[in-house]
Amino acid sequence: MKRLVAALLLIIAAVSFGFSQTKVVVDEWKIPFLNCLTGPIAAIGEFLQWGANYAANEINAAGGIAGKPVRVIPVDTGNDPQKGSVEMARIVKDSLVAMGPVPEPVILAAMPIAVENQMMSITATTSYEYAVQFFPWTVSWFPPTLDRLPPLVAGWAKQFSDLKQVVQFIEPYGPWPGMADAHSKALTSLNIKELKAIEVPTDAVTFGPLVVRALDQKPDGIILVCNAEKAAKIIKELKSRGWTKMNHILVFSSADDAQLYSTGGADLNGVQVYNYLNLEVSNPRWDKFKAAFAKDHNGQMPFSLSPNYYDALYMIKEAIEKTGVTGDPKKLKEERKKIADYCANVKGFKGLLYEWDMKDGVPTNKPSYIFEIQNGVKQFVLEVRP
Amino acid sequence: MPLSLYYFLSITAVNILMSWALYVPYRVTQLHFITIANMMISGYLAGYLVLHAHVPFVWALLIGFAVGGIIGFIVSLFIGDAPTFSVVIVGFTSIYITRTLVENLPIIGGTMGMFGLPNIGGNPVAHRWIILCILYGLVILCGFLIYRFDHSSIGRAASAVFVDKELASSLGIDIKKLGMLLQTFSCMLAGGVGVLYGFIYRSFHLDFFSFALIGVFMTVLFVGGYSTQWGPLITAPILYGLPLFFPPEIQSWRIVIYGLLLILVLELKPEGFITRKFVHSLGLSFSQKRGKEIYIKEDRQ
Amino acid sequence: MQVFIAQILNGLSIGSVYMLLATAFNLLLLVAMIIHFSYPQVVVFCMYIIWLVLKITNNNVFFGILAGVSSAILFNIVSAPLFQKIMKNREEVDINATMVLSMAIGWIITDVLSHAFNNGLPIQFPEEITGSKPLFRVGLISILPGQVLALTIGIIVVAGFFLLLYKTKTGRAFRAIAEDPAGAKLVGIPLVKTGFQSYALSGALGGLTAVLLIMLFHSASPGLGEQVSHKVLAVSIVAGLGNLVGGLVVGLALGILEALVQGYISGNWSNAIAFVVMLVVILVKPRGLFGVKI
Repeated sequence: MKRLVAALLLIIAAVSFGFSQTKVVVDEWKIPFLNCLTGPIAAIGEFLQWGANYAANEINAAGGIAGKPVRVIPVDTGNDPQKGSVEMARIVKDSLVAMGPVPEPVILAAMPIAVENQMMSITATTSYEYAVQFFPWTVSWFPPTLDRLPPLVAGWAKQFSDLKQVVQFIEPYGPWPGMADAHSKALTSLNIKELKAIEVPTDAVTFGPLVVRALDQKPDGIILVCNAEKAAKIIKELKSRGWTKMNHILVFSSADDAQLYSTGGADLNGVQVYNYLNLEVSNPRWDKFKAAFAKDHNGQMPFSLSPNYYDALYMIKEAIEKTGVTGDPKKLKEERKKIADYCANVKGFKGLLYEWDMKDGVPTNKPSYIFEIQNGVKQFVLEVRP
Repeated sequence: MPLSLYYFLSITAVNILMSWALYVPYRVTQLHFITIANMMISGYLAGYLVLHAHVPFVWALLIGFAVGGIIGFIVSLFIGDAPTFSVVIVGFTSIYITRTLVENLPIIGGTMGMFGLPNIGGNPVAHRWIILCILYGLVILCGFLIYRFDHSSIGRAASAVFVDKELASSLGIDIKKLGMLLQTFSCMLAGGVGVLYGFIYRSFHLDFFSFALIGVFMTVLFVGGYSTQWGPLITAPILYGLPLFFPPEIQSWRIVIYGLLLILVLELKPEGFITRKFVHSLGLSFSQKRGKEIYIKEDRQ
Repeated sequence: MQVFIAQILNGLSIGSVYMLLATAFNLLLLVAMIIHFSYPQVVVFCMYIIWLVLKITNNNVFFGILAGVSSAILFNIVSAPLFQKIMKNREEVDINATMVLSMAIGWIITDVLSHAFNNGLPIQFPEEITGSKPLFRVGLISILPGQVLALTIGIIVVAGFFLLLYKTKTGRAFRAIAEDPAGAKLVGIPLVKTGFQSYALSGALGGLTAVLLIMLFHSASPGLGEQVSHKVLAVSIVAGLGNLVGGLVVGLALGILEALVQGYISGNWSNAIAFVVMLVVILVKPRGLFGVKI
């Protein structure tokens, strides 16, 4: 009898202890988001912020994270590494997890601080080659470039039997030359000749000389690896010089943003683009997201990176709930690790558009798509899965 | 030390030192923007030496200073006494050339950047303390050197050149040699600061050394006061630190706020907040007060 | 040969941009002794005003152009006192103070444009004002209406202003006020009226430049002014500050050089090579190729 009572007491104590372990101690989950809300890519930063805020509102409407509301705290770093590092230094003091930074110079300056303090900060817009430097304190939203891109470019090229030689326009920024190398790999595998690449200066405002140089090589196809505004202007220039096979132009994913459409307009009709966001997919969450985005952005559809921080916030939610994180400041280090470990190897994560898995911080089965632009809308052409 | 304080202090020190690197040649009316290129060249070189050639950091830093000085000296052979416009163009040219070189050199990271620089001292805490000590040691050393320069015959010669170049020349001041000295010092300082700047972040990226930096350093110099070294010393922490306390809605407009502040200062106090007159009157009132104290002490005795 | 001709035409097109902006820059220097480093940003601001008015008036080109020119004049007149106050006690152009002031104005313009217009996204201009159909196309050679207009009007404007400033009484009055207001007053030149006219004139040129850039680029973005401002300053300095004809020649030459480097050597190196060439020129001729005119 005594043993039974002792055992019962032990069980009660264990259960109480367990409850007290998983009991959330915060009133609100505050997730800082280091973002580029001012400066040259402020427009993109606004879309990313919108996605994160929308996710927060949705989560709170459904009861929050482990019963507590979540708030995304915007932290503007501009494109300024100085500001990024100071803000990250401020955040690592007591934040459980963060999102961002955006873009690469700020990531380079600020992420080492997150790594040193063993705090996860999800960089959901940068390439694997940048993110891998900071594993396990971030995850990559994209597989390695050399694995991810060749099948896409091959998929594009295989559509056209007359594609014998291709020229790339390449802007020297961050991972873009590496992405161009990945395109080359695909072209080589299909025995398509790659003509001499055209380097696009970062401050170019007119593109006549570059386009003439490209066309002089008599390419059958063109791949644009430069920022969205430049890509649109190059396409316009190509058209004005007699280029007619618009679907023989492929725009890379980083140029698929609002600037491409606002600058290119109807001249983009027929151009193909590869990316990870399929507007034609329909599911209740995504349809609601699209409608809300269009309402807040004058009818504009979400661009490719818009859902990234929506998904990032949901991933954080899942990590907190599934690992029993409490938000207890005394357990900060341990709970940060729990979140990082969970996100690095999450299985069957239900993103806004599709489910995917992470293995050691790298997504394993995210689809990519090729689209054709018609009247500012991307029409599905091809899906590529690794 | 709180991390945010470390970054605040280290970036402030960089801003002070680079504003002084602009201040020194500006004493002879030269806007020496080549200092940004010097930061880049010495920074990347030191990063490469430490990361790939396993050169100790101290040597890499000294090499950074030396390379900056050598570049500054060679360039000054041509533009030591050049008009302001020419010096500005040299600055822009050097920045463009350096950026293009870095973009096209995969060995130093190219467009991706150089990351994974080691912690000096073996761990992050030691790294931060070492960087801070070096930075503020440099602030003290350069502050002392610039102070001595300002209060020397060379400094007075520079003031004469600032006011009237032709008159200064007719009084026997060798403008070219003076310009060469100041430009070489400025470039040497910028080289060393470039190394330290990258090691604050333990990485280098092209966008760490953009044209926007010119704006930051010039704001510090002109708002603080371009006629004395004290202006940048006082303005740098304020101009950098104050926006950090703004609410996010206001922070997003900080560039506009900087611009308006600069315009206000240029209109109302064209020489900046800390002028020679102000420093002189401060010194005078201090010495008068001191004189009174001595007088009273002697009287009591 | 076709490629070479195409690149030369491209170069003239790029050069027209520099020439127009350098002319506006030099004019402001000649009539007001202001080195407005960020004048390209002011022109881009006017492009945005034109875009806004076109949106409101359903692409009424006349109103758009009127709005652009008026906004440029207004901007000049409003910002002039800022520069004048700094220049008050100086006897000659002070590049440093006016350059810093103009940099600050440039930052403000760029940031306001990226915050307040079109969510910071680039703006596109309608066909009614851009004229994007080529006038002439043979192989790789393509000539757009905007290119012809920009070059022609640019040359006419330079010639016109040269005659105005150096061959007319009004022009001499403008220059007199700029160089020595007290002296100008002494000889009976009405300062306020003539000053106003000079600012209005340079503002009008700024507005016209905005229209021509719209025809050349067909779009604009907040950072467009910053992207060209270094080169515009360099063109003006290499030509000789205040030298209108020099600015025309050097602007067009720089455009052609850039086009040829991008077309035959390397896109990445075009800026570096262009600046090295300008640097060599400056080192050999510090007062500019055609001499300073202020």
